[in-house]
Amino acid sequence: MSAPAPPAQLDPLMARLADGDRSVFPQVFACLWPPIQRLCRSLLHNEADAADAAQEALHKILERAPADYDRARPALPWALAIAGWECRSLLRKRQRRRELPEQERSEPATDPEQRFVQQDLSRAALEALGSLSEADREALFATFWEEAGAAPGGVLAATARKRRQRALTRLREAFRRLYGLD
Amino acid sequence: MVSTDLTRLERQARARYELGRLRRALLGALPLLPVSLIALCLSQRPASTLCLGLCSAALSVFLLWYGRDPQRAVLPGLAAGLIPLALSLCANQLHQCGPDGCSSFCAPACTLGGAVAGLAVASVGKRRKLGPWFWACSSLLALLTGAMGCSCVGYSGVLGLGVGYGLALLPAWLQRPKTTGVGSR
Repeated sequence: MSAPAPPAQLDPLMARLADGDRSVFPQVFACLWPPIQRLCRSLLHNEADAADAAQEALHKILERAPADYDRARPALPWALAIAGWECRSLLRKRQRRRELPEQERSEPATDPEQRFVQQDLSRAALEALGSLSEADREALFATFWEEAGAAPGGVLAATARKRRQRALTRLREAFRRLYGLD
Repeated sequence: MVSTDLTRLERQARARYELGRLRRALLGALPLLPVSLIALCLSQRPASTLCLGLCSAALSVFLLWYGRDPQRAVLPGLAAGLIPLALSLCANQLHQCGPDGCSSFCAPACTLGGAVAGLAVASVGKRRKLGPWFWACSSLLALLTGAMGCSCVGYSGVLGLGVGYGLALLPAWLQRPKTTGVGSR
């Protein structure tokens, strides 16, 4: 596997891959895998679930790249939005099957009650996130990525700040609408 | 994650990528189905029309799956090929009968259609400054699509199509800006 390219290089690489240039596939893979894995871990707090979600997300991103990737927009927020959606889907699936393994959390809260509250909050946040538009989700995931240490290229800082502010407002509204509290 | 797992994951991801491209290519080639069906209904040589239609569809799917310049050749190639196809199918319905027998307008219509198709492909190729792969693939696709109708009078119709197409395309091909590679834009 080749060395990961910096996130700023991902956009042209993704555009080339979407266009059918297979020679950049290893570079795109190396560029996408670490941030997706990190996002899934931070959202799911469970190593096995995070690995499942990250793999499925990566497959979907690369499968959808030729048709859905918009070359005018940065690739990383788009990819992270798909990964975030995948995490949400996995959580909902687990919730439906009542298979949430409570003892396997990698960042366990000290007592079971606190742990339960933490899980519930994560689930609620993902639920609210899922009700937002794709553009809003991308703006929020871009924020997450910036805080993780690297800025996604392509969008001006002022524009990104404005988008983030609007997306956060809508996220708050969605959370309030779904759960009746902030 | 250890490197063998990563290699396996990369292989699986690559397979999904190719699958995504193939699915999209099949969807992209779908408009050829009604065109081929109409040509099949109107043609007097359904076997050759069916064969040429299948070849056009297979080539379109392959080019769309492959991507880059060949992928960009599909729409102009098919659109250009529709001109001789429509002209030949219409001409096929017209016959002029005189004391010396009956004559068909199929071959002249194919030559004229081929020339118009050649000019259309040449204009797109020159305007977009696309490489030789675009010219080759779009020409092949235009000729295959046009030949679905031009096979009405046998080889002479297809030959007329080819000659008309070649004569119209050649000047633009010789004047094209030099580009290399499959992915040149």
